[in-house]
Amino acid sequence: MNLVRAELERLSARRFVQLMVVLLVLAFAVTAATTMAGSHKPTAGELNSARAQAAEARRDLEATHQECLNRQNGTLPADTDKYFPSDCSEVDPIRQERLPIPADFLPGVFTFAEQARPLLYFLIAFLVLFGFLVGASYIGADLTSGGVVNLLLWRPRRMTVLAAKLGTLLGTVLVLALLASVAYLATFWVIGQTAGLPGRLDGEFWRSLGAVHGRGLVLVLLSSALGFAIATLGRHTSAALGALAAYAVVWELGGRLVLEIVDAPKSDLFMVSSHIGAWLNGGARFYDEQLCRGSIDGPYCEGFYTVTWAPALLVLLAITGGLTAAAFAMFRRRDLI
Amino acid sequence: MSAVIEIEGLRKTFHSMRSGRRVAVDGFDLLVEEGQVHGFLGPNGSGKTTTLRALLGLVRADSGRMTVLGEPSPELLTRVAGQVGAIVESPQFFGNFTGYRTLRLLARAGGVPVSRVDEVLELVGLHDRGDDRVRGYSLGMKQRLAVASALLKDPRLLILDEPANGLDPAGIREMRDLMRSLAASGVTVLVSSHILGEIQLICDHVTIISRGRRVATGRVDEVLAGHDRHEFLVRVAEPERAVELLHAAELTAVVDGGALVVGGVSDPTVVSRVLGEQGLWVGELTPLRPDLESVFLELTGAYEHPSVPRQVDDSSLPQGETVIDLDRGVDA
Repeated sequence: MNLVRAELERLSARRFVQLMVVLLVLAFAVTAATTMAGSHKPTAGELNSARAQAAEARRDLEATHQECLNRQNGTLPADTDKYFPSDCSEVDPIRQERLPIPADFLPGVFTFAEQARPLLYFLIAFLVLFGFLVGASYIGADLTSGGVVNLLLWRPRRMTVLAAKLGTLLGTVLVLALLASVAYLATFWVIGQTAGLPGRLDGEFWRSLGAVHGRGLVLVLLSSALGFAIATLGRHTSAALGALAAYAVVWELGGRLVLEIVDAPKSDLFMVSSHIGAWLNGGARFYDEQLCRGSIDGPYCEGFYTVTWAPALLVLLAITGGLTAAAFAMFRRRDLI
Repeated sequence: MSAVIEIEGLRKTFHSMRSGRRVAVDGFDLLVEEGQVHGFLGPNGSGKTTTLRALLGLVRADSGRMTVLGEPSPELLTRVAGQVGAIVESPQFFGNFTGYRTLRLLARAGGVPVSRVDEVLELVGLHDRGDDRVRGYSLGMKQRLAVASALLKDPRLLILDEPANGLDPAGIREMRDLMRSLAASGVTVLVSSHILGEIQLICDHVTIISRGRRVATGRVDEVLAGHDRHEFLVRVAEPERAVELLHAAELTAVVDGGALVVGGVSDPTVVSRVLGEQGLWVGELTPLRPDLESVFLELTGAYEHPSVPRQVDDSSLPQGETVIDLDRGVDA
C-alpha cells in the first residue's frame, strides 16, 4: 500500500502527466466553448419548421422505397432517369440506421442526443492516446533515469515494484478517464439543456451511450497497459512511440497494401484498428469482394463480413496481455545497468 | 566479528551484439565484517559497480555466492533490505521534486517514518535546501541527496558507490566525517571511490579489484606494509661516496636528485652508523612509506607506461596473477 501511495504521488507529480491533463482540459474547454458559442435555443418557429422538414424527408424515403418496389413488380415502367438499387431493401426506411429527425434540420442548434456519441468518441480517442503516452513515459523515464533502480534498492522485489507501477497507472488512468468523461458529458448535457436541444434521451439512448463509454474505458486501460509494456520491453519511452509509429506505417498502411495486392481474404481481420473499431462500436462490417466470387447469391451478394465485439476484445486482450506478460518476464531477469 | 557481506567466486559476463562477450567480474571474492569501513578500489571498468549491482540484485550473476547480513543475495535480500542503505553510481532524481519530497517518497515506499527525512537532510548538510527543487542542485548536492536516501533507513550496512563524486574539498571532508561518525555508531560501511587519499583516511580495510578479480584485500595498514620496500631518503654531503659505503654494507642505494634512496633497510640506525663511521653525517633520514595510491597503481598495473594514454581496460592483474590476501596468506 505504501508503495502504491508513493507511486501515485510520483505519477501525479510527473510533468508529462500534468501537461496531458492540461491538454485534456484545454481541448474540453475549447470544444465546449465553441459548441456553446455556435448553438442557440431554437424558437418555436424553427422547431415547427424542422419537424415539418423531417416528416417530409421521411415521407420521401417511404415514397422512394415504394416506387422501387413498384418498378420491381412491374407496376411502373422501368425506363426512367431515376436510379433505384436492384435490391429495394437498401432504400427501405425500416432498414436505415436512422431516419431524419427535426434536429437534422436545425442548423446552429446543438442537440445533445445526436452529438453525445461523436463527442464521446473524441474523448475516448484522446484518453486512449493519453493512456498510451503516460503509460510509456511513466515506466520509460523511470528506467532511463535510474528511478526504478532507486526503488529496487528500497524494495528489492522486481515483480512487486513493476506490478505496483502498472496497477497505479491503470487505477489513475481509469479514475481520470471516468471523471473526465462524466464531466465532459455532463457539460454538453447542460449545453443541450440551456443553449440547444437535449434531444431524445430515453433509456435506449443512455444504454447505448453507457455501452460505448464502458467499452471506451476498457480501450483506454488496454492502451495504457500496452504503452507501459512496450516501454518496459524497450527500456525507453521512445520504444513505445517508435513501435506505435512503426506498426501504423509498416503494418496498417504497408501490410494492408500488400494483403490487398496478394488478394488475402478478409484482410481487415489482420489489422488491430479493425478490432478497435469493432470493440468500440459493438461490431464492425468490412467489405471483401472475394466473398462474392462464386457466391450463389449472385448479384445479391453484398460482400460484407462482420467482426463482433467479443472476438475483437479477445484479440485486443491477447495482444496487450501477451506484451504485458513478456514485459514482466523480461523485467524479472533483466540486468538493470 | 560476523560477516556482513560475503562474496565468493562472483562471475558476471555481459553479452552484446556490438562488442560481443565481456567478462566484467571474474571469480571475485569479498569479505566485509561487521563494524568495518571497507574501501573498494579499482580502476574504471574493473568491475566495482557490477559487483555492487550484483550484490544488490540489480544484475544477475552468472555464478558465485553472495550474502548480505547473513541472507543469500539476491534470493532473500528482501529480508534485510530494510537494514541496507545503498547508492550505486550517481542516482538520478526527478528534477521537479524538492529534495524533501524525493526523500519523503522513498521513505513512504520503504515504510520509513517521514520524520526521518529531516534528520537525514540535516546529516548530509541539505537541511536548508530541502525545499529547493532537485533541478537546481549542484552535482555535489545531488550526491548528498543520494547519500541521504541511503541513510533514510537508519541502516546497519551502508553501501556507497563513489559518494564523493562532484563534492568540493569541503564536501569531501564532510562526507569523510559523516562516514566516520556512522562507523563510530556501529554502521558497517562499504565504500568505493577513486579518491585514494580519502579511502586511506576513512577506511580500516580495503579490497582492490582489477579486471574483475581481487588483487589485494586486508587491513589498510597491512596492505601498505605488504608493499613497503623499506626505503629511506638520505641527504649527505657526498652522495657518490655514500653510495659506495652503503653498497659495501650490502644495502641498495641510488642517487636521486641531490639525495639518496636507500633500500632494504630494516633498521634506519644502520644507515647513520655506516655513514657516520666514515665521517659522512646524515642531514636527513626520511622513511619512504607507500601510500594507497602507489599500491593501487602497482597492483592494477595502471601506471606501467606513463607516456602512453591508458585505456579503460588497460588495468591488469599483477605479474603472474598473484593475488594478495593478507587475511588468508598469498596465493600465486
